[in-house]
Amino acid sequence: MFEIKHTLCPSCSVGCGINVILDSEEIVGTFPYKRHPINEGKNCSNGRSSIDIFEEKLAFDSKVLDDAIGKLKSCSNEKVTVIFSGSCSNEDLEAIKSLCESKGFNILAYDNDLRNFDSVASYDEVENASTLFVIGNILYENPLIGRRIVRAKENGAKVFVNDDLENSPTANIADEFTSVSVKEFLDANDINEDSIIVFNKVDSFEDLDLIESAGSKILPVYSKSNSKGALSLVEAASKEDVLELLKNTDVLLVFNDDVVNDINFDFKSISQIIAFSPSKNDTTELASFVIPVKSWLEYDGSFTNAEGLTQEFKAAFESDNMSVVDVIEKINGELE
Amino acid sequence: MISNLHYIVQKKPSYRGDLMSDDIKIVALLCNWCCYGGADTAGTARMQYPPNVRIIRVMCSGRINPSMIFKAFQEGADGVFVGGCHIGDCHYDAGNYKWSRRAKIVQDIIEEFGIEKDRFRHEWISASEGEKFQKTMEEFHKTLSKLGPLELK
Amino acid sequence: MSYVLAKSKDSAIHEAGECGGAVTSIFKYLLDEGIVDGVIALRPGDDIYDGIPTLITDSEDLISTAGSYHCAPTMIGDIIQKYFIDKKVAFTVKPCDIRSVDELIKRHKIDPDNIYTIGLNCGGTVSPVTGRKMIELFYDVNPDDVVSEEIDKGQFIIELADGTEKGVKIHELEHEGFGRRTNCQRCDVKIPRKANIACGNWGSEDGWTFIEINDEKGQELISGAKSAGLIETKNPSEQAIEARLKVEGIMIKMAKKVQAAKFGDAGNMDAWNRCIGCYACRDICPICWCYKNCELNKSYFKDENNIPPSPIAFQGVRLSHMSFSCCDCGQCDDVCPMDIPVSLIFDKLQKKYCERTGYVAGVSDDIKPPLYSPEKTEL
Repeated sequence: MFEIKHTLCPSCSVGCGINVILDSEEIVGTFPYKRHPINEGKNCSNGRSSIDIFEEKLAFDSKVLDDAIGKLKSCSNEKVTVIFSGSCSNEDLEAIKSLCESKGFNILAYDNDLRNFDSVASYDEVENASTLFVIGNILYENPLIGRRIVRAKENGAKVFVNDDLENSPTANIADEFTSVSVKEFLDANDINEDSIIVFNKVDSFEDLDLIESAGSKILPVYSKSNSKGALSLVEAASKEDVLELLKNTDVLLVFNDDVVNDINFDFKSISQIIAFSPSKNDTTELASFVIPVKSWLEYDGSFTNAEGLTQEFKAAFESDNMSVVDVIEKINGELE
Repeated sequence: MISNLHYIVQKKPSYRGDLMSDDIKIVALLCNWCCYGGADTAGTARMQYPPNVRIIRVMCSGRINPSMIFKAFQEGADGVFVGGCHIGDCHYDAGNYKWSRRAKIVQDIIEEFGIEKDRFRHEWISASEGEKFQKTMEEFHKTLSKLGPLELK
Repeated sequence: MSYVLAKSKDSAIHEAGECGGAVTSIFKYLLDEGIVDGVIALRPGDDIYDGIPTLITDSEDLISTAGSYHCAPTMIGDIIQKYFIDKKVAFTVKPCDIRSVDELIKRHKIDPDNIYTIGLNCGGTVSPVTGRKMIELFYDVNPDDVVSEEIDKGQFIIELADGTEKGVKIHELEHEGFGRRTNCQRCDVKIPRKANIACGNWGSEDGWTFIEINDEKGQELISGAKSAGLIETKNPSEQAIEARLKVEGIMIKMAKKVQAAKFGDAGNMDAWNRCIGCYACRDICPICWCYKNCELNKSYFKDENNIPPSPIAFQGVRLSHMSFSCCDCGQCDDVCPMDIPVSLIFDKLQKKYCERTGYVAGVSDDIKPPLYSPEKTEL
């Protein structure tokens, strides 16, 4: 039966609403969610193609899960690392965190060298700002925050952009465009409490402190739908620390993420990767154990977006797959 | 063919020695049965016409899509010319009628994107009309020289 | 073509309907008699600002779709084409909906024998988020307290739970950047005459739906629903017919004024320089039905490294494919993440095309747009 259901976009941290079209319990398309206050029915191509994960489904095999748990049992806990991913819902993250704490597993949270900030600017504040400092190609990579920048500009805001791409949409709307290091960009401009720095990348972890102490409001835009939620539970690791920890890892647990695609590291050097994922990706290709889990369309949960707003989503359809929470319950039970 | 427009437009005029000082690039899409013959007639009769013209032969003007014209402009053409058979002479009966209707759309669209309408021209030229081809090319080149190189938005 | 006034004989439907509940009753007739497999109509999701196209197969559920939603700018054409191609369905259509359906029929993407279309006269729609903001700002009312809204006599009127009404002149709202969507402000097709019937309250008496019967199928709907005892009808007076045409005339005149004022902007739009090449405008367009085979996906046009794309090689190509069939539904504006007013140039070029050929997309009776005609004529 034809049905249109509300959900959230899982493709970045903006927190857009999106409708999915179901035909006989199968996702067949997306439909604009014009009532959603964040994006008013506008979705970028990543958002609209987020439902394509169902093209390549993974098959569940309970033996694989048992073997994976067996592997966990036989390995010393300090050699186990768990990826604490922004692709998981807040509920999943709570479960993962308590698993790691009780078992003494290493926990690894990261998002493109960004970290959590307690106080961030809201999207409405961006839209009404008088001066905006933009680091990264926000219009292209996070279009629905980019749109707020466009609107601010139309309201007369001055927009300073620092990025390596010269002819990007973001560069094109800039009043002043530079291609320098974050530090130089911050030093060169007169940043005060009336301005907002919007950024989705930095040169290094240290830049974050510079941005925080610049004296303006800030809005970090993460690459995953719940990175804000993840990084507020577990402190983010810098790129260097990520690599260091991965080097000392024997068993890597990846929940609903594609860490192989995200981090430039020789993952083949890790002896076992256990991937829990709703669909095929680079990590599942490399993993020794692949266990399918529910995607965000199949369970109820919540994501916290870049501005700190926690939004709930409901399952769009039922499925027999295990959720991350189910899997962790099972692991917990077996490892007792 | 449309994928090769890039190469066709980017390449320097290959006219013997006497390179034009200006760098106007004209892409001419000519119908195999009439206008291409017209260009051939001009050539064999040694009628001189601007070397800025890069000819692409198509089987019929009715085969030309507006997107080909746009692609040529996008790749750097300063002017695009389309030559077909006289009305009534189409080898495929009605291809040139179809093209004539499409040409109107092309005119309307390019104007909206800041391309002067004179940069796009189409003409019916038969295989025997070498002189008409030469004259048309000269005129078109003159128009384009006045307009200068196209700066796309 | 003939006119009739109709109202539902079911008191619950009569109460829930916008003006007489005739539309809901006609749907009930179609479902109960098994003439269609399903009915697609809008049902509020989160609230009245969130109209969601819903498939109804049991006539008991129809009541949840009664009433009209002006803050739900949906589009039905592509839904029918993609998901109901081989099913018998009835659905409501705004003028832009039926225009897109008509263009899709011309492209053999919808089978006209499979569909029943109930037209709704339309003075324009308001984007939900804009609508809520507007109600807060101009009406000083919490948008959640509004139970229904309507556009009448040049005003956008809201009704509260206690029955009080508040209206603000549309002109005033639009001057401040609120009010109807910009494409609706330009739209000069207000009555969906290609639908089997066109319903509305213009010229009608309180509690009655004014219906223009456009074709034989429409006549069958009215007579069928009447003989099934679901609606009662009467003939409208001459004054009522005139009053309705007058409303239509005024709206068209307003639209033409906006067109004259806005079309000039299309040519020197620098908004293209923030286009992120996401293809949302193409993917939502009800007329663009090629999907993966779209020429823009071909290697000679697809260029993921150069964003923004060159407007002539992106919108230019789309314009050449379908601008002559643009029904000005404004979906492309609605979904553009960069707020580029895409529809302006498409609408403008369809009007230009109309000047050349007399062809109005989704309204003219031509078998296909003149551009596709095999006839040996030049424009």
